[in-house]
Amino acid sequence: MADGALERVTGTCPVGDAWFAERTADAPPVARLDGREVDLADAVEASAAILHEARLPLVFGLGDTDCEGQRAAVALAETVGGVIDPAVDGAVGGAAQAIGVSTATLGELRGRAELVVVWRADPVATNPRLLPRLRLDRAGRAAGRTLVVVDARRTETAEEADEFIELPPALDFEALWAMRALVRDVALDRELAARLPLDALERLAGRLRACTYGAVLQGPAGYPKALALLALVRDLARLAHVVALPLREDGNARGAEDVLAWQTGYPAAVSFARGHPRARLGEFSAAGLLERGETDAALVVGFDALRHLAPPAADHLRRIPTIVVDPRATETAAAARVAFATAAAGVSRDGTVHRMDGVPLTLRAPIASERVGDSEVLAAIAARIAPEAGN
Amino acid sequence: MLRIAQGRVFDPANGVDGELRDVCLDGGKVVEELPAHAPRIDAGGMVIMPGGVDIHSHIAGPAVNAARKLTPEEHRGDVLDRTAITRSGTGGTVPSTFTTGYRYALLGYTTVVDAATPPLLARHTLAELRDTPIVDAAFLVLMGNNLSLFDLIRNAGPLNEAVAWWLEATGGYGVKLVNPGGVEMWKRGNRNVTSLDDEVEGLGVTPRQVLEAIAGAVDELALPHPVHVHCNNLGVAGNWRTTLDTLDALQGRRAHLAHLQFHAYGGTPGKRPRSRAPELAEHLDAHPEHSADVGQVMFGPAMTMTADAPVSALLREITGGKWVNADLEAETGCGIVPFAYRERNYVHALQWAIGLELFLLSRDPWRVVLSTDHPNGGSFLSYPRLIRLLMDRDFRNEQIGRVNQKAIGRTVLGDDIERQYTLGEIAIITRAGPARLLGLADKGHLGVGADADVTVYSEHEDREQMFATPRYVIKGGRVIVEDGELREAPAGDLLRVAVDPDEAIEGTLRPLFEEHYSVRLDNYPVREPWLLEPARAIPAGRGP
Repeated sequence: MADGALERVTGTCPVGDAWFAERTADAPPVARLDGREVDLADAVEASAAILHEARLPLVFGLGDTDCEGQRAAVALAETVGGVIDPAVDGAVGGAAQAIGVSTATLGELRGRAELVVVWRADPVATNPRLLPRLRLDRAGRAAGRTLVVVDARRTETAEEADEFIELPPALDFEALWAMRALVRDVALDRELAARLPLDALERLAGRLRACTYGAVLQGPAGYPKALALLALVRDLARLAHVVALPLREDGNARGAEDVLAWQTGYPAAVSFARGHPRARLGEFSAAGLLERGETDAALVVGFDALRHLAPPAADHLRRIPTIVVDPRATETAAAARVAFATAAAGVSRDGTVHRMDGVPLTLRAPIASERVGDSEVLAAIAARIAPEAGN
Repeated sequence: MLRIAQGRVFDPANGVDGELRDVCLDGGKVVEELPAHAPRIDAGGMVIMPGGVDIHSHIAGPAVNAARKLTPEEHRGDVLDRTAITRSGTGGTVPSTFTTGYRYALLGYTTVVDAATPPLLARHTLAELRDTPIVDAAFLVLMGNNLSLFDLIRNAGPLNEAVAWWLEATGGYGVKLVNPGGVEMWKRGNRNVTSLDDEVEGLGVTPRQVLEAIAGAVDELALPHPVHVHCNNLGVAGNWRTTLDTLDALQGRRAHLAHLQFHAYGGTPGKRPRSRAPELAEHLDAHPEHSADVGQVMFGPAMTMTADAPVSALLREITGGKWVNADLEAETGCGIVPFAYRERNYVHALQWAIGLELFLLSRDPWRVVLSTDHPNGGSFLSYPRLIRLLMDRDFRNEQIGRVNQKAIGRTVLGDDIERQYTLGEIAIITRAGPARLLGLADKGHLGVGADADVTVYSEHEDREQMFATPRYVIKGGRVIVEDGELREAPAGDLLRVAVDPDEAIEGTLRPLFEEHYSVRLDNYPVREPWLLEPARAIPAGRGP
């Protein structure tokens, strides 16, 4: 720290450095309407009008705000009878809803897992501290611990592994289903087997069956793949202590699911259009609503949507009135009708976030800021629409 | 100011048993008298009790939330709309937070204890409790499989200070042990302990040592609530011996046994259980330092959720359905399996009957109090039906006639037990008793200075109907429920214990944290005001 500003950050990884840089760069004015600087109150007023008049407003993003911001976002979505959905793909959560999950916190993986399988993820690039923290990188890995990577190509993570199994993404489901058969000693369909790296999968199944504590780290996956992996882990659980953990890049994506679930009963894709929560993955997913043009106003919280959405969804987002609440200067904020540049949790606001394994962490603010936080902006908009709102 | 006038008052803590009285409330407390012009509720023909106190429930935190995520199908059919004063939500066996608060209040309950929070995840429980309106809530901190505490027990380290540190660091109220040692063994290759003297492999401690050491620490710290124990061998035929061993090990020390019904089975492991409720009821009667909540099973849907993860793996094999396992570093585990209890099923009927036996055979209602271990044995919404089973012999016998008769034959319920709980006894097992066992001096009674938490029921012959829909519920002096409808929904308080651990304990804990945790000791204690307020601290050290 120097003169109340952040001079440099220590102990961070490249992803962390970029995170701090985006949030400590020269910020735009606190509130803008059609690109012009306005008073905060005017921007709140304009936002309330947009959301109040919309037929089906959409609140999305959420993975990079703190739990307080997420609570306020759910309350606002309820106030306006809209839909709320975290930006992340809900498929892993959906699969867990269908059959459940065996999982663990990161400390258990570090302390107990003697076999860790990274299934189509590259944490060395996306979560650079993960392997060293879990003492799973080559340099830190104790004898007797094994790291196996399954992916389409030899990633940086694969370079750290004891074994790399090459598998094209199109064969994920088949490979996981074949592993289930191998684990359960069920005969494999010969045609299927011929398309898979069977020797390697057999060896992996044998390792998983024989381990005392095994873990599978999974990258983003569609519903069938996520389900197949959880089903495999469930089968394995009869033979060994095996857990699975989806890897997340958004700092508080887990918090968004958790807050939504405790307030509504559902972790994603919740509609308040009928005055109570209803959830349908797909039907109420943010990307789907935008692509099908079913939403007529959007509130984007902490997410550069235009850079991440597929073109049809991004095109629709450009056409409808949009409000952005984000500490960063993003393309989405620049294109929005109303943009709030807030104080970031972990930089100039205290906050709580949930790590990808569900462990809540405190964010402390090294820098003082006059700016309001995400939760205050969202609460102010809700209060403008329904001053008598419950709780 | 509010005068609740001329109702039949049941305030067993103050020896009041159905006498016609006024209850006067002012400034959030019960007061001696009010001016004549004070606003009044005419409670003529009604029954007045202190607000309900639930000593053992699962309403908030990571396990509860995992169960919510697991059951979208339950939420669809049970929804609450947003109103001018309430947030929307969903129900089912595990309601959303707002709905949980409203429904407890609508049932006449004003204080609820969440019975199992992993300390590392206390922030999550606290955040949910803040979104659980109206009721004052406390939570118990899981300490029965904590590697750092095992280390201190093995090495005769400063255990009292460490227990106090964990309570202070989390905002918790009391200490919970769940299958001490067994959950750690589960995480070491799907194993368990089966007796108090099995060693937790490689750690040099046994369940007995953990029980004795931590119960001793809780006693020496003079915490308001004694150690709250979920015994080893839950659900296993023949486990009553483990339960008795546990009580013997804790003889002379205060202890509360959770959901005793699940620990009262005779027979041999792997075979059909039978009832050993009479023996356990007798043992409890003879040991005034011990208490229990029943953990009654009610027929219908339930959600088993427990830190006793190996039990969930067994239930998974029974249901073949959804299953969650969650290992929590260095502290505990978690298992969740949706479940349903069926009248015709031998084991389910036996569990139901054992719960009723415990209620009906125990002579001291102050020490054997009501719970369904919500939502494990059934939802808290089934309490009124349970109350009718206890109060109405004809209804009970009719229900007994409907269930698996082989199971009934293994209990004393077939003998047409005469006992019918009185309203005074119901007031004991649903408020006065739990409050006393929890050490909440301002709860569970209507003496001057008590919290102004009051429930007013219309008299009704059908006790289920009477207790399901209180006429008025008053919390902190405010009328929250009137004629079965919410009038307002203020926040409740967090109830936490006030302990003052010696800071030097952090020096002892620091190397243990570095060994076991993925977070640093300095980041562990909850300090965020938005998670900890509003709160009331109940001091330790008063003694029982």
